[in-house]
Amino acid sequence: MSNRRASSLRDRIEGRLLTALAVLTSVVLVVAFYYPVGTVLIEAVVVDGAATLAVFAELLRDPFYFGELARLFAGESPLAVARALLDPDRRLGIVGFTAYQAALSTVASVALGLPAAYLLARFEFPGRRTLRSLTIVPFVLPSIMVAVGFVATFGTNGTLNSLLSALGLPTVDLLFSLPAIVVAHAFYNAPLVARVTTAAWESVDARAVETARSLGAGPIRAFYDVVAPQVYPAVLTGAALTFVFTFGTFPIVLALGGFELATVEVFVYRLVRDLRYAEAAALAIVELVISLGVLLAYLRYEAKNAVSARGARPLPRKSLLPSAPTARELLPRVGLAAYVVVAATLFLAPIASMVLASVTGGDGALTLEHYRFLLERQQTGAAFQVRPWPAIRNSLAFASAATLIALPMGVVVAVLTTRRYRGRTLVDAAAMAPLAVSGIVVGLGLLRGLVFGVEVAGWRIAASGAVAIVVAHAVAGYPFVVRTVAPGLEGLDRSLIESARALGASRARVIRDVELPLVWPGVVAGAAFAFAISVGEFTATVVLATGADAYTMPVAIERFIGRRLGPATAMGVVLLVVTGLSFVVIDRLGGESRGL
Amino acid sequence: MTNATDATRAADPSARRAESGSKRSTRRRFLSLGGTAGALALAGCSAERTGDDGGDGSAADGSGGADGSNESAGADDGSDGGDEETPTLTVATYTNFIDAPSVSPGEWLKDEFESRVDAELEWATPDNELNYYIERAASGVAVDADLYVGLTTEDLVRVDDRLDGDLFAERGDVDGFDDVRDGLLFDPFDRAVPFDTGYVSLVYDGTAAEAPETFEGLLADEHAGALIAQNPGGSSTGRSFLLHTIHRFGDGGVASDGEGEAVAGGDGDPDYDYLDYWAELQANDVRVLGSWEDAYTAWSNGEAPMVVSYSTDQVFAADAGEDLERHQIRFLNDQGYANPEGMAVFADADEPELAREFMSFVLEPEVQGEIAQRNVAFPATDTATLPDDYAELAQEPAEPVTFTYDELRGSVSEWVDAWERQYAGN
Repeated sequence: MSNRRASSLRDRIEGRLLTALAVLTSVVLVVAFYYPVGTVLIEAVVVDGAATLAVFAELLRDPFYFGELARLFAGESPLAVARALLDPDRRLGIVGFTAYQAALSTVASVALGLPAAYLLARFEFPGRRTLRSLTIVPFVLPSIMVAVGFVATFGTNGTLNSLLSALGLPTVDLLFSLPAIVVAHAFYNAPLVARVTTAAWESVDARAVETARSLGAGPIRAFYDVVAPQVYPAVLTGAALTFVFTFGTFPIVLALGGFELATVEVFVYRLVRDLRYAEAAALAIVELVISLGVLLAYLRYEAKNAVSARGARPLPRKSLLPSAPTARELLPRVGLAAYVVVAATLFLAPIASMVLASVTGGDGALTLEHYRFLLERQQTGAAFQVRPWPAIRNSLAFASAATLIALPMGVVVAVLTTRRYRGRTLVDAAAMAPLAVSGIVVGLGLLRGLVFGVEVAGWRIAASGAVAIVVAHAVAGYPFVVRTVAPGLEGLDRSLIESARALGASRARVIRDVELPLVWPGVVAGAAFAFAISVGEFTATVVLATGADAYTMPVAIERFIGRRLGPATAMGVVLLVVTGLSFVVIDRLGGESRGL
Repeated sequence: MTNATDATRAADPSARRAESGSKRSTRRRFLSLGGTAGALALAGCSAERTGDDGGDGSAADGSGGADGSNESAGADDGSDGGDEETPTLTVATYTNFIDAPSVSPGEWLKDEFESRVDAELEWATPDNELNYYIERAASGVAVDADLYVGLTTEDLVRVDDRLDGDLFAERGDVDGFDDVRDGLLFDPFDRAVPFDTGYVSLVYDGTAAEAPETFEGLLADEHAGALIAQNPGGSSTGRSFLLHTIHRFGDGGVASDGEGEAVAGGDGDPDYDYLDYWAELQANDVRVLGSWEDAYTAWSNGEAPMVVSYSTDQVFAADAGEDLERHQIRFLNDQGYANPEGMAVFADADEPELAREFMSFVLEPEVQGEIAQRNVAFPATDTATLPDDYAELAQEPAEPVTFTYDELRGSVSEWVDAWERQYAGN
C-alpha cells in the first residue's frame, strides 16, 4: 500500500520534473545571459536615453562594413547593386568578408571532419575509443597556443618547410593569408564536425541497413538510403556550428592572417575597448542576426528532414585490415590512409610544435626549465599571482560542475524544441543565442549584469566568483548538448514514446527510459563539448573571477605569455594532458553505446 | 508494423531491467541537478546595501567585490571598515604589473610598502583594466579601489570622454613630484603622476637584416615584408607605432575632418600624411597582426626580421641568455614613441591620504629604480637609483616623442578609424 503511494508520489514528481527543469533553465538563461547581454545590446538603439535607429541606419549604409550591399540599404535599386556584386571589383565589406571566410572554413572543416567520423564510427582498431575521446582536444586550446603551433609548423622556417626542403621540394609560404586562417579554423572545427557526426553514425541502426540489403539494395544504395539520411543532420549540425563560430572568430584571424583579413568581431572588440558602445552593440546585433539566421535555417531543415529511427543496434565495425584484396575493400582504406597523413600534418604537427616549444630553451637546446618554472611558480608565487595547480583544479571543478548543469539544461531544451508547436522557431532562436552572440558583448554584459548587479529596493544584488563562473560556462556549453541530442530525438519514432505514455509512464520517465538511451552517443558527445567549452572559456572566467583563487588553465596560459614562449607553452601542454585525460574519462563514464 | 514490435520491446520489463542500472544513475543525476541549480543560483549572489560604504553590508563569502581583487575572500573581512585596525590600500593596476612570467614589481612593492607603513596593500587587477573602473563609475557602482597604477595619456582621454563626473581626484601633495621629468607630465588637469615610461621602437634580428634608420627606409625594396606590427585598435604597441607615424607625417586633417587645422608632421610635407605612408608600407608588405604576443611570436620564429616592440628588449634577451645580436633596437629617425605610465587617486577612494602616501613612496629614488628594473621600463624621476649598466641594455631614444592629452583628445579614435578603413578595405 505504502509502496504504491510512494510510487504515485514519485510519478507526480516525475510528471512535474520536466516543467521544473524547463523553468529553471529559463531562469538561468535570463539571469546569466539574456539580461546581461541585453544591457549591452540595448545601447545600439538607446543613445543618451532616447530611442533611435540612427546608429543602425548609418552602419547598414556603410560600404566599409557591407560593401556593395550598403548601397541597397542606402536606397539604390537592387538591380544596380546586383550588377555591382557581379563585378570582379566588388567590395564585400567587413561583414561580407567575414561570412565568406566562415563559409570557406565550414567547407574545410566538413571536408576534414567527415573522414575522421567515418574512421571512428565504422572501423575497429586498437585505441579507437581513446582517439575518439581525444578528437575534441583542439577545441580547448587557447588561440595564442594554436598560433604558436601554426607558426612553428607552417611558418617560413617551420617544420613543414624544413621537411619540404629536406625532400628537395619547393617551400611554401602559407602564413598570414586567408588559407592559413581557414586551416586554423578547420583545426578547431573539423574535430567538432567529426565528433558530432561520429555520434550520429554510431546511432544508425544496423537492422535498417540489413533490411535494405535483404531487400536487394547494394551497399552503396543502402548507404545513401539508410545511413546517409541519419548522418546528414549531424554533418549539418557540425557545419552550422562551424559557420557560427568562424563567423564570430577573432584573435586567430589577426594572429595568422593579419589586419587585412579583419573580421566583424575585431571591430566589435576595438569599439568596446574604446567605449564606443552604440556602434559596438549595433555591429554585434548584425553579427547575431546573421549567425542566428544560419542556425535557424539549419534547424528548419533539420526539422523537415528528420528520419524516423527506432533504437540502435550499431553497425558492426570493420577491421582496418582489408578482409579481401578487392577494390571495394581496399579503396576506402587507402583513402583513409591518405587522410591520416593530412590529418597528422594539420592536427598533430601544430600540437607537436607546441610541445616542442615547451621543452626548448632560449639557446635552442632541449630543456625542462619551463616546467621547472611552473613548479617554482607553484611554490613561490605570491598569493595574488596565478599558480598552476589552483588553475588546474579550478578548470576541472568548473568544467565538471558546468557539464552537470549543461546536461539537464540541454536535454530539456532539446526535448522542448523537437516538439511541434507554434513559436517553436522563437524558442529555438532563444535557446541557441548563446552560440551566436559576440563573446566580447557577453563579457561586458556579465560585468554589468552580474558583477555590478542590479539595484532592488536599496540593495544591490550581484553575483560573481566560482558559482557565477560555473553557471556562465554551463550557459555557454548547453547549446552543444541541445545540438548533439536534438537531432536524435527528432528522429525517434513517435510511436515508441506514445506507447510508453499509453502504458502510464510519465513524460520525464519516457525521456529517461526510452529517449535518452536511444540517443546516448549524442548525450555523451554533448557532455564532452560542454566540458570542453568550459575548459577553454576565457572571457567570462576573467570577468567573473573574484581573485587569483578562481583562475583557470587558459588564464594561467595567458598570464605566462611573455617574450619567451616556454612558460606559456608548458602550461599549454599541461592543459592538453589534463583535458585529454578528462575526455577519455567522460567517454568511459558515458559507456561505449547504449540502446535497446 | 515494425513500429509495434519496437514499442513493445521498449515497454518490456525484462529488456529494461537489463539496463536499469545505467538508467537509474541517469535519473539520479537528473533529480539532484534540479536542486543543485537552485542552490547554486542562491550561493553565487551577494546583496549589498547601496548608498554609504563602510557598513557591514557585504554578505555571502567568496562573492563580494568581484573586482578581481587578489586577496582571498574572507581573509580581510571587516578590516576596511574599522578605524582602529590596519587600513587597507586597494591598488588597481594591470596584471603584468603584479604577475608576469619574468619579473614584475608587484610583490616587491607590496612587501616594501607594508614594511614601512602600517597598512595592508591589496592589488586589484580586473581584466578590463581601467575600463572596468570607468564602467563601474558609469553604472553608478562604488569604485572599490583607492588608486590606479598604470594610466596612459589615452586612458585619461577615454575617461574624460566617457564620464561626466570625475573618476580621479586631483593629485594633492605628493613628495618627490618635483623630481618627475617635465617631458613626462601628461595630464593637463594634474591628476596623474607619472611613475615610469617605456619607448616603442623597432626590434630586429641583426643576423638577418640591418634595420633602416628612418621611416622612409622601411619603404625600400630590401625591407619588403620585413616588418611585423600590431593592430592599433587592439594593441598598445601597435597604437603607439601608428601614433608615431602620425607624429612623423601628420594626419592630413583626418581628425578635424577637413575643417580646422590638420596635425602637421615632422617631415614638413603638408601633402603627405600618415595614410599615404601606410599605403606605401602596406604595398611594401608590412604585416599587421593582432596582439603584441602574436607579433613577437611570429618575429621570434623568423617570419620577418623586424617587429614593433619596446626598447628594453635586450634586458629580457640577456636575462634569458639569448644572443643580443638577434635583439637589436632601432629608433626610427632617432625617435622613440614614449608611453609614460601614471598613477592617480580615485575620486571616491576610502583611503585618499594613504593613496598619496603610496604615490610619494613610488617616487622615492630607490623605489623608482626598483620599479624600472622590475617593470623593465625607465624611471619617471631624475633621481632614481639604477645600476650603472642598466642603460647598456635598456635603451632610450635621442628624441622621445609623444602626443599630449590635448592632441589626442577628439583625434585618436578618428585616426585609428581612418587607418582601419584604409588598411582593411575589403
